[in-house]
Formats: sequence, C-alpha cells, structure tokens
Amino acid sequence: MDEKDLIRKAKNGDTIALSKLLQQNYSFLIKYLMKVTLHPQIAEDLTQETIMKCIEKIQLYNGESKFSSWLITIATNLFIDQQRRKKREKNWLEQEQALRKMKWNAANMNEEWADVLDVLAQMNEEIRMPIVLKHYYGYSYEEIGKMMGIAEGTVKSRVSNGLKSVRKELAELE
Amino acid sequence: MNEYDSKNSNSMLDDEDELTVKQLIDGLEKLDQWNPVSTPNLQWFQENAELEKKRIRKKQWKDLLTFISVAVFMLSVVIAVVYRQPINFLYFQLVGIILLPLALNKPRKKVSNV
Repeated sequence: MDEKDLIRKAKNGDTIALSKLLQQNYSFLIKYLMKVTLHPQIAEDLTQETIMKCIEKIQLYNGESKFSSWLITIATNLFIDQQRRKKREKNWLEQEQALRKMKWNAANMNEEWADVLDVLAQMNEEIRMPIVLKHYYGYSYEEIGKMMGIAEGTVKSRVSNGLKSVRKELAELE
Repeated sequence: MNEYDSKNSNSMLDDEDELTVKQLIDGLEKLDQWNPVSTPNLQWFQENAELEKKRIRKKQWKDLLTFISVAVFMLSVVIAVVYRQPINFLYFQLVGIILLPLALNKPRKKVSNV
C-alpha cells in the first residue's frame, strides 16, 4: 500500500493505516529533531508530541506538501513553542549536558567529534533550523518559510547570516 | 537527506560556503551514526493512536457539555432578568451596545522589523 492510500484511509479514521504511516515516518522525524535540537532526549519527547498532534490533526492534512514535510512543520512549531516557554539559562545548561553526553558517546565509539556541532549548538534554534532544513534536507526558502511561519526573505537572511557565522566560528576553532 | 535537492540548493554557494556546508552535512551525518534510531513496532503506534483518539473524543464531549451548561446558565439568567426586571435588561442591552464598539476597536500594534 503506498503513502497516498495510507493517508486517505487514515483521514477516514483507519487506525492501522495511520499507525503504518507514522511508523514509516518515525525514523525520519526523530533524526530531524535530533539535528535541530542537538539533544537526543528532547528529540525523543518532541517526536512523541508530534505523533500525538498528527493523530489529532490528520484531518487537516491537505496533501499540498509531502507527509514528511507536514510532520516536520508540526515538529518545528512544537520545538519553537517549547524553547520560548523555557528559560534561556536552563536551555543552555540542558544543551551543554546533552553535548557532553554525545561527545562521550562519540569518544566511546572511537569517533572524532565534529566541531560544527558545537557551533550549531551555540546558535539560536531559529537560525539553526533554517540552516539544517536548507542545507541538509534541501528544502526551498519558500517551504522553510511556510514550515516556520516566517517570510521567505527572513529565511534567506537567517540562512545566509547563519552560514557566515558558522564559517567564522569554525575558522576560530581551527 | 534528499541529496539531489541539497546539491541543487548548494549550487549557488561560493567555494568557502560550500566547504562550510560540507562540514555541516558531515557533522550532522555523524550525529545519526552516534544516535541510532530504533523504530517501535506497529502495535505501539496502534495503541498510542487508539489512546489519543479516545482522549480527543473525551475532550470533545467535555467541551460540548461545558458549552451547553454555560449557555443554559446564561439563558436562564437572561430570562429571569427579562421577566422580573425588564428595565434592567434594557440597561444591560444599552451598556452592551456602547461597550461593544469600544472593545472591538482596539488599536493594532505595528510590526517592527528592527
């Protein structure tokens, strides 16, 4: 059964079709959240929240974008809301702990840590997200703007300035 | 990652930016390697979907009952006032007519780009 059939059945209330759809997109979703949050635990929690939101709002999915893009839109907005609610200092501490844990995991696997992840972690998530969406996932500025609820021009400037800042920070680290 | 799209989107970049994007992609791919994802089985998704649907139905019923209760209460108050003190009802209507345009005519904040 292809994705379109599953979506149609899920919208008609078929729980099995909805479950299959969610299972097929689970790995993509959690990997995306891992990249924008840089925090495995938060990524896992947000994945659960996104799944719940998707179950609730599946009737509103209009098929204009890919189903995975729709999930990313929900996840992105949940993450932005969560970050706004949390205090900046708490966020920073949590991020530091998560990075330390990931560095330890990488060292255990005899892998070299990527400095670019430190640079990304220091950035505000509203800049980090469009960079990841544009340069890792290859979405257009327009699509990113729709996902984040901001103007296309804002996305362009965030990506361009963000990339410049990543380059500068990397040069300083080297 | 959609490689074709990503390469396409990077075609406008200069050499330095391209190098930065390459470092970025490598770093993010490493992140996937260090945090392998195990997808739960179909049953887990089914159970969650059923539970969530049940919760939504319960919430919808609760909201509907709350709405009906508030509507019945307000209607009872209005009917009681109309029958016992019609003049008070007219005063309330008058105050409402005066206050409504004031409440709706709030000055809108200007969006600043600075």
